[in-house]
Amino acid sequence: MSIIVDQNTRAIVMGATGTEGTFWTEHMVNLGTQIIAAVTPGKEGEHVGNIPVYHSVRRALDARASNTLIDSHSSENTHADAAMLFVPPRFTKDAVFECLDAGIKCIVTVADGIPLHDALQIRSAALSCRANVIGGNTSGIISPGKAMLGMFPYWIERVYRPGRIGVMTRSGSLTNEVTAMVVRAGFGVSTLVGVGGDPVPGMRFSEVLAEFEHDPETDAVVMIGELGGTMEEEAAEMLESGAFSKPLVAFIGGRHAPKDRRMGHAGAIVSGGKGSALDKMRALAAAGALTAERASQVGILLTEALKSKNRDAPSANGSVSPLSAKSAEQKQPRQQP
Amino acid sequence: MKLHEYQAKALFREFGIPAPQGELAETVEAAVSIGGRIGWPAAFKAQVLRGGRGKAGLVKIVRNPEEARTAANAIFASDWKVRKILIEPAISHERELYVSFSADPRTGTHLLLASAQGGVEIEDLAKTQPEKILKEHIDSIRGILPYQARSVAYDLGLEPSLAKSFSSIIEKLFRLYVQKDAELAEINPLFVTIEGTFIAADAKISIDDNALFRHPEFEQDTADFDSDIAREAAAEGIPYLQFDGDISLMCAGAGLTTAVYDLVVDFGGTVANYLEFGGPNYRKSVRAMELCIKNNPKVILIVTFGTIARADIMAEGIVEAIRRLKPNCPIVTCIRGTGEDKAREILVSAGLEPLTDTEEAVKKAVELAHNVYSTAAERPTPDAAAMPGGQP
Repeated sequence: MSIIVDQNTRAIVMGATGTEGTFWTEHMVNLGTQIIAAVTPGKEGEHVGNIPVYHSVRRALDARASNTLIDSHSSENTHADAAMLFVPPRFTKDAVFECLDAGIKCIVTVADGIPLHDALQIRSAALSCRANVIGGNTSGIISPGKAMLGMFPYWIERVYRPGRIGVMTRSGSLTNEVTAMVVRAGFGVSTLVGVGGDPVPGMRFSEVLAEFEHDPETDAVVMIGELGGTMEEEAAEMLESGAFSKPLVAFIGGRHAPKDRRMGHAGAIVSGGKGSALDKMRALAAAGALTAERASQVGILLTEALKSKNRDAPSANGSVSPLSAKSAEQKQPRQQP
Repeated sequence: MKLHEYQAKALFREFGIPAPQGELAETVEAAVSIGGRIGWPAAFKAQVLRGGRGKAGLVKIVRNPEEARTAANAIFASDWKVRKILIEPAISHERELYVSFSADPRTGTHLLLASAQGGVEIEDLAKTQPEKILKEHIDSIRGILPYQARSVAYDLGLEPSLAKSFSSIIEKLFRLYVQKDAELAEINPLFVTIEGTFIAADAKISIDDNALFRHPEFEQDTADFDSDIAREAAAEGIPYLQFDGDISLMCAGAGLTTAVYDLVVDFGGTVANYLEFGGPNYRKSVRAMELCIKNNPKVILIVTFGTIARADIMAEGIVEAIRRLKPNCPIVTCIRGTGEDKAREILVSAGLEPLTDTEEAVKKAVELAHNVYSTAAERPTPDAAAMPGGQP
């Protein structure tokens, strides 16, 4: 298993006819993602690879419905589980609401630069529709070896190896860096969720953690956070309350960031004295998370966390794989120069 | 994008929120003469975007031309680089209130904050007596309803006549906040005058940069940048922050650049500038390096791990930039991601040493920065060797 996205997810792509959209749609298909339709207003009748393009989400789903008459598949084929949006930031709110109104419960938006007030409305609508809107300002979500909705260089084997570690991140560039350390320590990734670098992400760390908690194939989670906002503190609260019970390793960027300076991401700013990286690390450590000061420590902490977990609960409903810790142990010496 | 007080107050008036009619002075002489025209006592308020100007003595009430001259001189001479003083008639008041709108990311709502005890101590109040600050969540799709503004006014304990005009100010401020795509709209303090009317004594508005495309009326004042280089970078669309240390960061991706910044400080180095040339800018190596060189850094440190930003194209750009710009400082490269094998070849053939580990690259850069002008004896020993996963 994995969370949110796997090989059974049926997705549509909005904006697949653009250069970037086409490039990544092909890669999503290559990895095994089921892309059932594309949506670009004005381009119905065209194709992206073998994927038919429709003017609107509604028309795409209707067309799928009528196709089932000649399809031998069951009527389950008429729906989409997810939507991948390659839509510019200023049109993202419209696109998200189009998908929500069509009943789609998982929407990934990579747009960097969604206006704040649009993002608030998106978040609000996602909550009331009980939908997961991942992003914006993210690379998306990938379950390595199964499927992805987004833009990940899954062909880089030292980063995107399938396994049993969940990863959630606010940064695209840092994800490659940190996940490479997870893989170097002998682990792999169950699902990697980029919640994005904006101040108002559609889906928050705490909600991703809840998904990982219930995934029997995720043994531990690596969180790549940074200064600004309260998402890391919310994750700490979940550990504290027991709502998340697996090991959590946290890497928080911006420990030395000067106050009141926005470090790259729109959401990466300490304001009103709140949200510094050190405060976050303290809150997480107090709640029982293992905190890494540097990316290079993540793999080591993960190995430790899973070892001690096994010792504490040797038969923990079989969900903690002794193999992963063991193989990490075996592989560990090899990386020592 | 933060607005200056005088810009924010102009918006207040446009939306029907009472604010003093002031005038701007750019010289001491002008300040004194405007004060005379407006009448004493007058408020002299430095127009700066940083917070804490009151505590820094940059807001003064002056009663005559002599005091005005002294105050204006002091304000222009401070190290805050003040270019404009806003001069307003001083207002006698009997109470100070607080009201603001901002975003609440967790719930996807707007957050209305209000207090009957406004003023400069509001942040302390938030810590010591948080119950004195009322919070009202405003549905971001539905907008504010009159009852919400009304409830807050009465819950603050205002008498009916004041409550009525206060709730009207709340609604007007909300309208401004939404129509102008603000991330923050704040009146602190909101004066209640002796006559029992409201007037905004200060104004803080910050416009969402991502929504500026909807607001051609806002233009960033070129004098508000940290440096000329920062201004050039902004014009180019290259994310850039000005610092004053030794090492120029030329990295890709906000998260990675921030992490590299942390490592530089960890290893005892200092940062000259933060610059990202990833994402849409990954073909702009030459321009990016040009900006870095203007800081006269001791080292340029290039770290990337790109997906769309192809490593080979970035490597080509860097080699081209070195050929054209001939930087006189060492360059450390650590370029990974899509196309990294080809990138390595390109760097090697140009005589560069392509590193693959971020920490190793940062250590090297810090070492080089120390070696340029200082002796080895002065060099701080990085404590890194003791850290797990540290120095091999």
